[in-house]
Amino acid sequence: MSSYERRVAGKRLPRIDGIGKVTGKHVYAADFALPGMLFGKILRSSEAHARIRRLDVARALALPGVRTVLGAGDIPQIRFGTAIKDRTMFAQGEVRFRGEAIAAVAATSLEVAEAAVRAIEVEYEPLPAVFDPEEALLPGAPLVHAGWSDYQALPVFDREGNISGRSAIGDGDLEAGFAQSYRIYEHRFTTQHVHPGYTEPRAAVASWDGNGDVIVWSNTQLPFDMKNMLAEVLDLPASKVRVIVPGIGGGFGGKLRVGVEHYAAWLARKSRRPVKLITTSEEELTDAYPRQPTIVTLKTGVTRDGRLLARQGRVILDCGAFANSGPATAAIALQVLAGPYRTPHLAFEGIAVYTNKGATGSFRAPAGPMANFAVESQIDLIADDLGIDPLEFRLRNVYREGDKGPAGETLASVSIEECLRRAADSIGWSERKPLGKKGHSRGKGIACSWWLTTGGSSGVYVRINPDGTVTLVSGAVELGSGAITGAAQILAEELGVELAQINATDVDTHVSPYDYGAQGSRTAFSVGNACIAAARDLKRQIGALLAGQWNVPADSIRLEAGSVVSGEKRMSLADVAALSQRSGGGLISHGTAIQPMPVFDPNRVRHHPLPAWTSHSFHAHAVELSVDQVTGEVSIDRYVVAQDVGYAINPTYIEGQIEGGVAQGIGQTLSEEIVYDGGRVLNANLTDYKMPTMMDMPRVECILIEKPSVNGPYGAKGVGEPPCIQPPAAIANAVAAATGVRVQSLPITAEKIALRLAGKAGKDG
Amino acid sequence: MGFSFHRPDTIDAAISFAGVHGEDARFIAGGTDLIIQINRRRLAPRHLISLAGLGLDRISETSGEYVIGAMATHDAVVTYPGFQHELIALAEASAVIGGRQVRNIATVGGNIVNASPAADLVPVLLTLDAVVELRGPAGARSLPLDRFLVERGRTVRRPDEILTSVRFAKPPTASATAFLKAGRRKAMEISVICVAAHLVRGGKARIAVGAAASRTVRVRDAEALVERQGAGAFHEAGRLAAAEVTPIDDVRASARYRDLLVAALVERALASCAERIGKANP
Ligand SMILES: Cc1cc2nc3c(=O)[nH]c(=O)nc-3n(C[C@H](O)[C@H](O)[C@H](O)COP(=O)(O)OP(=O)(O)OC[C@H]3O[C@@H](n4cnc5c(N)ncnc54)[C@H](O)[C@@H]3O)c2cc1C
Repeated sequence: MSSYERRVAGKRLPRIDGIGKVTGKHVYAADFALPGMLFGKILRSSEAHARIRRLDVARALALPGVRTVLGAGDIPQIRFGTAIKDRTMFAQGEVRFRGEAIAAVAATSLEVAEAAVRAIEVEYEPLPAVFDPEEALLPGAPLVHAGWSDYQALPVFDREGNISGRSAIGDGDLEAGFAQSYRIYEHRFTTQHVHPGYTEPRAAVASWDGNGDVIVWSNTQLPFDMKNMLAEVLDLPASKVRVIVPGIGGGFGGKLRVGVEHYAAWLARKSRRPVKLITTSEEELTDAYPRQPTIVTLKTGVTRDGRLLARQGRVILDCGAFANSGPATAAIALQVLAGPYRTPHLAFEGIAVYTNKGATGSFRAPAGPMANFAVESQIDLIADDLGIDPLEFRLRNVYREGDKGPAGETLASVSIEECLRRAADSIGWSERKPLGKKGHSRGKGIACSWWLTTGGSSGVYVRINPDGTVTLVSGAVELGSGAITGAAQILAEELGVELAQINATDVDTHVSPYDYGAQGSRTAFSVGNACIAAARDLKRQIGALLAGQWNVPADSIRLEAGSVVSGEKRMSLADVAALSQRSGGGLISHGTAIQPMPVFDPNRVRHHPLPAWTSHSFHAHAVELSVDQVTGEVSIDRYVVAQDVGYAINPTYIEGQIEGGVAQGIGQTLSEEIVYDGGRVLNANLTDYKMPTMMDMPRVECILIEKPSVNGPYGAKGVGEPPCIQPPAAIANAVAAATGVRVQSLPITAEKIALRLAGKAGKDG
Repeated sequence: MGFSFHRPDTIDAAISFAGVHGEDARFIAGGTDLIIQINRRRLAPRHLISLAGLGLDRISETSGEYVIGAMATHDAVVTYPGFQHELIALAEASAVIGGRQVRNIATVGGNIVNASPAADLVPVLLTLDAVVELRGPAGARSLPLDRFLVERGRTVRRPDEILTSVRFAKPPTASATAFLKAGRRKAMEISVICVAAHLVRGGKARIAVGAAASRTVRVRDAEALVERQGAGAFHEAGRLAAAEVTPIDDVRASARYRDLLVAALVERALASCAERIGKANP
């Protein structure tokens, strides 16, 4: 941390993209249109697992207005995927989930395209299907991918049959640990499919130009990944694919991977017209990238005075018909299970499993809420059984500065104790079960966790313009979080200008420098670091330009308040930029950043793509709620988040991230679930897929703790993902404190609580 | 898809237009149910006949009764001065229909004609012994709401009949109403169970339950018990009500939970009525 007072960083300044968005003028990908554009629509499988016996598109092609119909036979059979190349654009002879794309149509209107899709005839021959991930692991279970062993995959993953990836983390001597334990607890927890719930559906417009290049306007979170992926399925050199992100109405991890872009690009290629695709709510809830459901079993041995001795755990993660990020998510779950607790003997295993359901993906803090729900529910169960206050139990076991993390890495900037104490103080922990109003039980719950700031490199171009403004060209999109405003605040700080002088451009892969993308709580952190690097380089350029002219040492030259200063000498930044343009091509810099990987012990991890976390953060949530003793309805009275953000670049948008994350967490905890009956989604609409409304949300009280990280800009840590991790456990613990009912399956619906209170349900709710 | 939109100036013009097009035509009020049905391809009318310009949106009172025009919005019901005391259940029900945007445009007539078993205003109107007014080619007719409703999505309305209003007697002062709804979230929620009650001190009891059968129903055994035994029987009335309904298991809730909710909400709605009567008539 620098010692001087900062002018721009750390301040509650309005975001640089704010006015266009609140006035409705900002163009999002879903708004984007081109002259002569066609509309695309996808025909989806009505079977969960079947052979396609016949596909007849003749009636569709004959409809007036239909320009192109594409099926598996019309394009090269190219497999793609993040961890495993197990997916094709259209089902190749066999469908693996209900909703899988079989064909696509481009027509002059959406209505015609829809009619054409309905006119396509498909005959299926059903195949045995498997929907339950535990059944999928049994010998003789139907294989979702009979040809799995021929697929290309990242070598790190251990695969076999329906197992798309298996990872492990371990340390110590588990048997000995259990043998020494005073008590051993075994529990099982389950979590559900939840949709990221971005406001803007996935949308893309594709158009081919005279050079045979394809331009895709898309609301992707990862334009560079998208570019490479499209090059693969279009069988083109990557340089011929240009991805532009005009604007993106939220992503939360649901827009990391290809959605409709490849269909738009192929339909545009075949029809020689621009083509637009946009998903419906039904498509979002049947073929998107929702959070994977999990089954988490934990076995934990403790000492009499409440210290964790030995912990064994298994996460079975249902990744649906295609692996996508499932294997990595099952692996990351293991760190969430481990931390933030010291445990001498531990062995955790994560297994990602194929089933004949829709694919899944990396929703905000992938693995976080699922694994944390299990660990933090169990901690309360154990503490209560031992007669130790759950807060006290946690404090006895949490990481301390310098401890070893799960992979043996040394932990620095550890703040979990402070997070727990601040959250507990704020909620009034000393009174855990206050009196409820008539007919209601009240209770408080607490839960804590840790999380990483994802690595990957960032590049920015920064140009100081002769009008005194600064242009920031980043390859990371502004997802809506305010992260680019945060990076711009750092840039403004470094260059001695006001935030309002900084303009950030949209991402265009033909123009913008590479960035690993808006994901993993990394954007403000990583782009911010790249901005610092670019600013340093610009200072160097300015120094070189003026040192001779002013006859002063280059290192005496400083930037302040829009000017370049050395002793008595002063020139406005605008004039310096103009001078540079006349003499040397202008002030422009390419700043880059990458986080160093921590040193870890490879013997502790197996088949893990991310063995040690970079720039981890700590956080604790505390909640007070009331439960209707008959209907089971939960009302959240107060919600407190104490989060270590390292350095609060802009407290307002950090609080926004916390409030939004808590809202998503409350949704996962109390109301949201994509309900499958076998392979069919029963609630593929927003009437019955229930995200919380404002009326369901408490005011969220945010406590920002600033224990600086080593690698973040000004000590910042990633803040975006963590707030949705703890709500399930914190609320489950509060419900249990209030009512005595411990629900071990998400969502914790009023129905589950009420039936348990009435003694009409099994133990698991 | 595709339909033509018509905006007749008079009720008779609307009726005759509907008569010409028969099943191909639909009346449209706020459109909050109809448009969704069309988008989900459950309905494909060729003609939509707007009821907006026909002067059917007034709520009025005479010495003996209230008349709610079919085109009155839920917002209008929420703020209507006559529905803030004995008839507060009307405002309570309308206030929790959908969200702001829905209440601003969705109508009372649409809520009734749509005949959803989960319609929130319908149980309240049933407890008020409301009567619906219909106009068709053969003139006007009126019948009790309870006889108008047949089952989910079905009423005795003929395709070319317009529901013009719903009316009910002014309740005596020593009376009260209450409406309760349970769902998974606190707004934008289709009722998992909704319950309305109407009690007249020393007189009649009316209880109606939504989302617990193939249509909104009155629970007559429970009503009779309360009429016989009064406040001491509220708990038992809840139990009886649960025995009278036939809820189903669906994605929103299990039948078991719905039974539990019916019993709980009926008891609470009755207790709330009794408390309101007591407060207003000390
Ligand atoms: C997001 C959302 C949330 C909702 N939440 C709720 C809720 O919480 N509770 C609830 O009860 N409902 C809810 N609804 C359903 C709906 O809003 C209500 O039922 C509303 O009252 C319908 O009125 P409308 O004017 O929009 O009807 P419309 O959609 O215009 O009409 C519905 C049907 O009735 C017919 N019709 C309408 N008026 C007449 C008339 N005067 N004469 C003859 N036929 C007529 C139409 O032809 C159509 O078939 C919700 C709807 C949405 C979209």
